Amino acid sequence: MSAPENQDPRFDRAAFGDDQLVDAHETALKPKTDDQAHYSMRPLILLFILSGCVLFAAMYTIRYSGHFNYLIYDENEQATQTSAAVKIDPVAMGKRLFNTPSACVTCHQATGLGIAGTYPPLAGSEFVNGPDERIIRILLDGLKGPVTVKGTSFPGVTVMPSFGPSGFNWTDDKIADVLSYVRQEWGNKAPPVDAAKVAQIRQQVATHEAWTAEEILQIK
Amino acid sequence: MTAAPTQASPSPKAADSAASYGPAGCAALLILLGSGVLWLVAAGLLALISSIQLHSPGFLAGCPILTYGRSQALAESAFIYGWFGNTGLAVALWILGRLAGEPLRASNWAITGALFWNLGLTIGLVGIAAGGETALPMLELPRYVQPLLLAAYAAVALGGVTAWTGRRREVMFASHWYAVAALFLFPWLFSVAQVMLLWYPVHGILQAIVAGWFAQGLWTLWIAPLSLAGAYYVVARMAGRVLPAYDSAAFGFWCLLLVGGWTGGRHLIGGPAPAWISTVAIGALFVLLFHYIVVVLNLRASFAGGGISMRFISFGVAAYALGGILDAVTGMRGVAVFTQFTHFDEAQRQLAIQGGATMMLFGALYFALPRIVGRPWASGGLVRGHLTLSALGILLLVACLGAAGWTQGWALNDPKTAFSAIAGLTHSWLLGATAARALLLLADIFLAVNFFWTLVCAAVGGEKEGAA
Amino acid sequence: MKSGPYFFVGLAAAFGMSWAGVMWSEAQLGRLAPYYDDIESASFPNRMPGNAAAGQLVYRDLGCASCHTQQVRRPGYGADVARGWGDRQSVARDYIFQPYVQLGWSRTGPDLTNLAGRKPAAPDADSLMRLLYSGQGGMPAYSFLFEDREVVGQASQYALKSTGGLTPAPGREIVPTERALDLVAYLLSLNTTYDYPEARPVPASGAGEKPIPASGGEIKPVPASGAADKSVPASGGGGAK
Repeated sequence: MSAPENQDPRFDRAAFGDDQLVDAHETALKPKTDDQAHYSMRPLILLFILSGCVLFAAMYTIRYSGHFNYLIYDENEQATQTSAAVKIDPVAMGKRLFNTPSACVTCHQATGLGIAGTYPPLAGSEFVNGPDERIIRILLDGLKGPVTVKGTSFPGVTVMPSFGPSGFNWTDDKIADVLSYVRQEWGNKAPPVDAAKVAQIRQQVATHEAWTAEEILQIK
Repeated sequence: MTAAPTQASPSPKAADSAASYGPAGCAALLILLGSGVLWLVAAGLLALISSIQLHSPGFLAGCPILTYGRSQALAESAFIYGWFGNTGLAVALWILGRLAGEPLRASNWAITGALFWNLGLTIGLVGIAAGGETALPMLELPRYVQPLLLAAYAAVALGGVTAWTGRRREVMFASHWYAVAALFLFPWLFSVAQVMLLWYPVHGILQAIVAGWFAQGLWTLWIAPLSLAGAYYVVARMAGRVLPAYDSAAFGFWCLLLVGGWTGGRHLIGGPAPAWISTVAIGALFVLLFHYIVVVLNLRASFAGGGISMRFISFGVAAYALGGILDAVTGMRGVAVFTQFTHFDEAQRQLAIQGGATMMLFGALYFALPRIVGRPWASGGLVRGHLTLSALGILLLVACLGAAGWTQGWALNDPKTAFSAIAGLTHSWLLGATAARALLLLADIFLAVNFFWTLVCAAVGGEKEGAA
Repeated sequence: MKSGPYFFVGLAAAFGMSWAGVMWSEAQLGRLAPYYDDIESASFPNRMPGNAAAGQLVYRDLGCASCHTQQVRRPGYGADVARGWGDRQSVARDYIFQPYVQLGWSRTGPDLTNLAGRKPAAPDADSLMRLLYSGQGGMPAYSFLFEDREVVGQASQYALKSTGGLTPAPGREIVPTERALDLVAYLLSLNTTYDYPEARPVPASGAGEKPIPASGGEIKPVPASGAADKSVPASGGGGAK
């Protein structure tokens, strides 16, 4: 039966009743005998289209998934970012350590110039810019007695405390960082200090008492 | 119980008797349909207001209950929960009842549910206007009304579910699948979203992820199925023969269901969520293209015309399919960078929801009402007017918002364009969009007038056929 | 499909699968922790101060998210960073301490993620109050957030200063309500300058590449209050991609 022509918009006549509707569609889905081997292309074409969509979606998802990593926001990122291993700038860390109250800045001042007659300067100091074996030892064990820095002598009334096991007990990383900072600040241009070197020297001089200037100057 | 005659008689009274749903069922359906139509007009008015505020921000700016953020939320909530909630449920119930071949059961529950649904929605809208909105797209109603809505929905849906489980014939038609799916999926979706967003909120960006899942889920798993249930039923009944490509209809259905819920991430492209979420959504949008193809193949008989409902449905199907294709295209990141956050996104939404789902539902409504009340629509002129104005309005709205959005998108991505200049670029397009909203409001008023006129005529004009 | 129970199971399975996807993202992001910075000895992001949290509620109930987004896209994907809306892409960690994440879905107005951290000049409380009171461009006026009242005794310390078009009648003052104060406090707390490792910080723009102030310059900027850029680059040798 064909669709009725409904000219009057106030009511649309239907060609099917409810039962007919359900019957017809149930029959349509039943398998039919097909004597003449009629072949409907449509299901194949639809399958092809569906497969194409799924293939595209799958390829797109795999390519731009960011490894399903919750820290990857850029879909173009190829490698997983090892966000845990963020390298911290040693000089920046060293600056923070230097400025910790009652550590370095209190005596040597933020300008690195120290206080005349009491605390030696670090800016342009030959100890700071010299071999790192010396300043590593100074930090690990402290410095006592008079010392001459840049031609000016300091009587040594106050003792530089130890930042090693007998004093502040800083780790190798911290000592290396603060020394690296000091060696590039205020016009100093010395290479940074390596934490491994600090560890090595710590092994050698672990329980030495505070150094004197003469002893330090003998270290090459 | 009545076997319909093979040749439908001219009058709806004899052919589709109200015996299928009884007087209580009839009342339930009419309450739902009437509320839906009224909410449609209200939502249209609110949408017109918010559209004006887009290009003329001074409009009603001094009125705190209608500040743009609230008027937009009001319009959206009224449209989705008022219009779709009521009419979609009514159409689903009606179809399930008819296909079951028995009077609708649990009609008193449905009446109660309908009344409480509308009461809850009204309270919710007042709450939004007073400042309680949740600012979650499509879930703006304050949380204190949402459990009420859920309970009311369950009461209404009960009739539909019992019609399905109690059907005389075991076989299911496509409308069954879509209507039953919508009936079940909405409460699941709604309750999970409520819990995860409002009662025991998830933290941080997960709120946006769940909100996106809900918004897309509401569209693909509730609004679209309700409209498609109506469309399949009407087209099949009017065409008088088996739907072409019906053997693929089931695959189209399951494609929508399986894949629809994964598309939520499309709102998070380039956003602060991990890349995989939007990637999966984009993949899903492409797989969903298969669903749209199947729907068009099945419902293409509507393009041949044959009645006013078929014309509405053909427009709806075309808009629905076009919306789906547009979703996939704008999902591509290279395109999304221009269309995101612009009016283009809104244009897509309007194309799908207004152009697609609403027009299909109109078709079902025009088909169903004469059969429920037992008399034709009161005015043919208003029906034709509704069709013309709706079609024009939607085309104009989508075109203007699309053009505005496209211009806006390009300008946003050009750092040399000062932000303050962008409003000037889109101004005239937004005026066009407002004109379109006005057309749509007028169209909806036609529908509402016609609807209540028909009811009055049916009540006054004489006997409604209805067994006890 | 003939059998009802199978159909129902199919429905539940289909729904459950997408819900499982949501739960998977919950598993990934639900316990996202703040990032501890060794150099600054602080963790980021910071929690919102009380009045800012109240302000977010005001933001939410006025529906500000329907015009303003709070998500910056990565440089190269759109012009968000070039417009000065942020130094870097927004990431999930930016939102972990926000009770009601307001990502927004439309840019009728500019993005607000980093409103208080914009360079060269972020808006201050005064300019924001003014903006709310009189509106600007596409933004409506929110004068209902303010009280136009008679000056009784001494003028309120919060009263908007009268300049230009904003001149109350003599003997009257315009005072922001509690909601306006909270809202502005919230807006001034929107600052996401910390560079998380996953955010791929943008290299500081060199000379000559000035980001355009987001509002086209009409919000009168005040000189930056000297808040130096606290975030020291966390990456070591600059080879990070």
